[in-house]
Amino acid sequence: MSLEGWVPEIGEFLTLAEVVDFAFDYRGNTTIVRADGTEVVGYIFNRDSAAADPFVQYFDEAGEGPFTLPYRDIATIKFTGKDTAAGNSWKAWIERREREKAKAAGAAVAGGDDADPGPHRG
Amino acid sequence: MSVPLSQMITVASYVIKQKLAGRKRYPLVLMLEPLFRCNLACAGCGKIQYPAQILRKHMTVEAGVAAAVECGAPIVSIPGGEPLMHPEIGRLVAELVKLRKYVYLCTNAILLAEKLPLFTPSKYLTFSVHMDGLREDHDEAVCRDGVYDQAIAGIRAALGRGFRVTTNTTLFDGASPLRMRQFFDEMMDLGVEGMMLSPGYSYSKAPDQEHFLRRARTHQLFTDMLSNAKRRWRFNQSPLFLRFLMGKHDYECTPWGNPTYNVFGWQRPCYLLQEGYARTFRELIETTAWERYGRKSGNEKCRDCMVHCGYEATAVDHTFGSLRAFGETVGLTLTGKL
Repeated sequence: MSLEGWVPEIGEFLTLAEVVDFAFDYRGNTTIVRADGTEVVGYIFNRDSAAADPFVQYFDEAGEGPFTLPYRDIATIKFTGKDTAAGNSWKAWIERREREKAKAAGAAVAGGDDADPGPHRG
Repeated sequence: MSVPLSQMITVASYVIKQKLAGRKRYPLVLMLEPLFRCNLACAGCGKIQYPAQILRKHMTVEAGVAAAVECGAPIVSIPGGEPLMHPEIGRLVAELVKLRKYVYLCTNAILLAEKLPLFTPSKYLTFSVHMDGLREDHDEAVCRDGVYDQAIAGIRAALGRGFRVTTNTTLFDGASPLRMRQFFDEMMDLGVEGMMLSPGYSYSKAPDQEHFLRRARTHQLFTDMLSNAKRRWRFNQSPLFLRFLMGKHDYECTPWGNPTYNVFGWQRPCYLLQEGYARTFRELIETTAWERYGRKSGNEKCRDCMVHCGYEATAVDHTFGSLRAFGETVGLTLTGKL
């Protein structure tokens, strides 16, 4: 499941620290909404929630940076950029490969059936 | 085994010095990723999924050299992305060679023949060409037909110009031991100096039993491949690591053994997991919660991992940990038996 398009609302059930963690794992650009209402688009590549003053680090959309922004200056983070990792995990690859193999095997069986219709056919 | 004597001596003296100095955590191989961009999009590769502005970024030569100096590891591996796409890769390698670092430039070799004039043959420089098996297997792994033949052409060109060339192979579930043995023959026929093997990394939240089977399958695969290893096969890596993959040794991960530096900084905790970045190598070593990683930690991301970047340094450390282990390594190296 991709978080692409998610606009989280920080509140009782979702903390900013949790949203930052999601953004850190996200392989796409996000829009950081600052506490003063201004926004910046960039790629969050680092965060330290255990620091005395927790912060995120990001490169902006032009690749400039790294910039550091404390959590206290962030209102929320919107997952606005394309998720470049969606569907590209190792697990997804294995599943895709298995599906392709099964499909190829099925095609081979179907091809063979013309010559040798066996009892396995329904 | 095929590591040249001078390199063996360099590594051995370095490790012994670390042990004499009482350093518990020391780096053996710096993984220097100068860019994430690649000219392939191999399925299962987690290194290239970034927004465009990140893929366009290149590490400066100065930053790469500074990282190598700060880290101090005797070996620098340059993966990526595809390092040959870095605009200053020739200068970066030349500067590292000046520091007498043993540089392994990891490449898919698509651009190798074209870029060779940027480099000078040296005992310090090795092209480590990504080859995941015979033609059909490799082209499937990289999701493009013809790449195997391009890599072979690149290897031949590099060997022809007097460069050191090794191969690096990642093995996944379903690899055929028989075909891999044929592949080893083919690489030896080609004339490469040696081969490097590693199982692929898979992070899964599967139940324990499945994890266990995965590890057992890795042992079985490497046992089937490497039992009765032919004498002509040369592996450019620790024989104890290969025996670990065969299930003959039980090691714990040393994630600090192959620290990773890239355009984001020093990656915590290792080459495969990306859990944050430190600004300096010292900060990485001193502030990473190392106890959270490795099999014994219970971290599910580490449970199945048997990858070289976590365990080869362990094997090398083990070699110099006792006379028995040293003797075992020497014996395996001389006989070629695993």
